[in-house]
Amino acid sequence: MIKGKLKLPPLNNRIRKVFPDRLGSLVSGFEGIIKGVRIRGSVWEVEMGEELEPIPPNAVGFGRERDADDVYIEEDVVDTRVRIGPNKDAAAATPVLVLKSIVEEEKRSDFEYELSQREINLEKLQRIASTGIPDGGSLRATTWKLLLGYLPSSHELWEKELKASRQKYANLKEELLQNPSAYTWKKDIESSSALQQEDSDADGRLTRQEISQEDHPLSLGKANLWQKYFQLTEMVEQIDRDLLRTHPDIPFFSGESSFSRKNREAMKNILLLFAKLNPAIRYVQGMNEILATIYYVFSTDTDKENAANAEADSFFCFVRILSDSVDHFCQQLDNSSGGILSTLSRLSDLLKVHDRELWHHLEFTTKVKPQYYGFRWITLLLTQEFDFQSIFRIWDTLLSNPFGVQDMLLRICCAMLLCVKAKLLSGDFVANLKLLQHYPEDINIEYLLQVAQDISPDTSFYCLSL
Amino acid sequence: MARRPDDEYDYLFKVVLIGDSGVGKSNLLSRFTRNEFCLESKSTIGVEFATRTLEVEGRTIKAQIWDTAGQERYRAITSAYYRGALGALLVYDVTKPTTFENVSRWLKELRDHADANIVIMLIGNKTDLKHLRAVATEDAQSYAEKEGLSFIETSALEATNVEKAFHTILAEIYRIISKKSLSSGEPAPASVKEGKTITVGGPEPTKKACCTS
Repeated sequence: MIKGKLKLPPLNNRIRKVFPDRLGSLVSGFEGIIKGVRIRGSVWEVEMGEELEPIPPNAVGFGRERDADDVYIEEDVVDTRVRIGPNKDAAAATPVLVLKSIVEEEKRSDFEYELSQREINLEKLQRIASTGIPDGGSLRATTWKLLLGYLPSSHELWEKELKASRQKYANLKEELLQNPSAYTWKKDIESSSALQQEDSDADGRLTRQEISQEDHPLSLGKANLWQKYFQLTEMVEQIDRDLLRTHPDIPFFSGESSFSRKNREAMKNILLLFAKLNPAIRYVQGMNEILATIYYVFSTDTDKENAANAEADSFFCFVRILSDSVDHFCQQLDNSSGGILSTLSRLSDLLKVHDRELWHHLEFTTKVKPQYYGFRWITLLLTQEFDFQSIFRIWDTLLSNPFGVQDMLLRICCAMLLCVKAKLLSGDFVANLKLLQHYPEDINIEYLLQVAQDISPDTSFYCLSL
Repeated sequence: MARRPDDEYDYLFKVVLIGDSGVGKSNLLSRFTRNEFCLESKSTIGVEFATRTLEVEGRTIKAQIWDTAGQERYRAITSAYYRGALGALLVYDVTKPTTFENVSRWLKELRDHADANIVIMLIGNKTDLKHLRAVATEDAQSYAEKEGLSFIETSALEATNVEKAFHTILAEIYRIISKKSLSSGEPAPASVKEGKTITVGGPEPTKKACCTS
């Protein structure tokens, strides 16, 4: 919990944004193609020494007056209310549901109110979103796009920006996702027709373009288009394999229906495009899980146009989400300050600060190191640890953290350990490892997130990471 | 360390599962430890861990199996898990020749990161896909002989030879260790030829076996 007024430590000028700055390096070498893809401003731009409003754990910070208790539903709180409510003789479950739905409805209208403003107040939106975004409609999709800085805060710019981004995506796809024969074929056609125009007196025979030696399919030169294409094939196979294994229990992704095929095809395009634009990272297993979360939310937007453009929007938001954690996917950076090993040791430090007993038990008594369980938690932004609905709820909190996804991610990971402390303390190496690699499904997500919110943000990491 | 009564065993053997992505490592593990198979299981990121206790040559062996991610990127991370491993199951897919061709790369990986005496078994998985077979049994057999590996073909889907594969490698590890214990005359369960004690990161094996050898 942020206690009282939180004053950020003086930040250097370079430390301004949480998300988008990494994008420059993510897409370097492709300026020509993706010029304009870069993010123009950040949602989480924080001025030096600027004071942020405190965020009480249960507060929603809605624009209108509101009793904070209304929003945060702890089962016991609800029970009390049920007893004093008008339907106290009715079965407990019904009023609880009614109360929950009233709270949901109020929250929904608060979101709708905020999102309808001409100028979206992002700090306010972050506060509301951190308590969970109601399912259905366009709320989650739109809010995530805003939180990620994909949509500008000025409402009137949305249409223009979306149109431009979607067009950019279409151009990128056309430029980068065609096979070499289509590429040379297109080149041939273009140059032939140019020649034809010049040579209009010729006898109608098209001038055949020579294929250069290095572009011949059997040439082994490294610059050979086909050589690159074959390397690509291997990656495509890996992506296909992983997409088939993405949420295999959800028909949206799995099975042979044309619907799921279409979804997998769209995600494949995104992952391939990302890999092509980021040759130093390419595709790494696990990216599919992160993308699936975004793509599902955007595809199920009830706004038909948004849903139809889910592929383009997901691409840009996927890049933004990875922008502050892409080093975790990069083997060469494992030991660097932004690499996975350093992040894992930060998780260990965080636990040490908040619960020395548990930390000691895990690290020394049972020797369950963070790399045994935290590696997947962190790299995949928790997408393999919980059911789909819980992932959305967790991501609402992740994406709305003013200190960035990575800060909140580590706090949630630490909270995950704290929430099963009793079991961990009584467990040995095997029991603890199994528990953490298969995190209990019956955990109360709201409680877990509350514990995470109560952990202080790591502002030193915030400085270092930017 | 507190040990539950049902968790008693004579030896604790750590075994790693390695091989290219998609060859069926996780399903071999789930078939062996839980008798489950999932046609479309999630891809393994980092490592996954499972155990099973079984009788091998009259001894109670607790197999601690580490399933690793197949993709190249994860090798640097997962290589740390080879430490202390007494056995490695190197898996390829009999329907995908490239996964067999990459076996030599995995062997190099083991030589670089694992103990020199690690027992390695080559496993050709997915024999149920008979019509798609692309790696001949004989080729794999002769390769295994050349490299000094034991070899078996399995189908995690049909549960063919999975039990046998794990049983064989555990028995082989046991034979090496008990031979060592005999020749040295010292209590050295779960140790390798040099007599170096292997740290497996978990509970130490009980000393029960030593007295009987």
